[in-house]
Amino acid sequence: TGLNHLTETSQKPNLPWELAEYEKVTDLVKIGQKDLEQDGFSNTPFFRGVIAEVPEDQKSKDGHVKVGYALYFFSYSSWKGRCVYLEDLYVMPEFRGKGIGKALMSKVAQLGLEVGCTQMNFIVLNWNKSSLEFYTRQGCIDITEKLGYHWMSCGENALKKLANSDPVDES
Amino acid sequence: MEFKLRKAEARDVADILRLVKELAKYENMEHQVELTERELLEDGFGETPCYHCVIAEVNDVQVVGFAMYYLTYDPWVGKQLYLEEFYVMAEYRGLGIGSEVLRYLSDLAMKLRCTGIMFVVAENNEPSMQFYKRRGAEDLSEGEGWRLFRFDKDSLVKMAAPSEE
Repeated sequence: TGLNHLTETSQKPNLPWELAEYEKVTDLVKIGQKDLEQDGFSNTPFFRGVIAEVPEDQKSKDGHVKVGYALYFFSYSSWKGRCVYLEDLYVMPEFRGKGIGKALMSKVAQLGLEVGCTQMNFIVLNWNKSSLEFYTRQGCIDITEKLGYHWMSCGENALKKLANSDPVDES
Repeated sequence: MEFKLRKAEARDVADILRLVKELAKYENMEHQVELTERELLEDGFGETPCYHCVIAEVNDVQVVGFAMYYLTYDPWVGKQLYLEEFYVMAEYRGLGIGSEVLRYLSDLAMKLRCTGIMFVVAENNEPSMQFYKRRGAEDLSEGEGWRLFRFDKDSLVKMAAPSEE
């Protein structure tokens, strides 16, 4: 392609839904456009985004110029300090193989380094071979395999139970 | 033994670093802790904190446990509380401090409109795995196949460098 320019986003993309389709879990998407607006673009943003845009004459079959995005936020390592967490990285299928994914990651890496981050973390599904290969080519390590760290989550039900638990009630 | 939980203050950074190092030692990775007290101070108690801590104290003076956390984001379900570090000194375990910390964090997470708490556990850390699973935590690496990946500083610098066209 000609120019892909990457802008820190002030617009709200529809792309998280496409990514959910790709990962085959659309019924797990519980928030809507209004939540994304409030959580990302008010005074206390909980996430930041970078959008990849193509020129008008190269827009997608259904007329989109915003063809990819990265959603990230800043996190913290108790051993190394500031880090950046890459939550979502997605490029529409018809725009893959052109270096857009790499450019998005590069941009997030730059933004992270600028504020003193020394690490970037993210998770990948074990069946997602093309993604696993892409990331390994960029130089990263599979921490789950190397150090045995498992990604854990207490969802809403567990959270409610925990918040209301009687401190004496121990198993 | 009586204990109480409170929000960490700037004066606690020495204890926080001490406990971070103790936990790293427990995981046989003490040499990996590069953070200094000064960074903890700037990053936790400046204008925009990068992390928050809750402290467990006995006798009103002795810091015996802590949890470090921050808020993250899942674009499918919204805000999450990420539990970065959670440790109680060996001699103070079995008193319910760990459970109380987790209850405090869950309560806080709900007040902040988070829909979950996320964290990592080493698979060979059986006691911790059991502690969390008993309380309803799901192992997403095992259950859904998620693997945690990382770019370290060198790879980050390489990736950030503009590519030759």
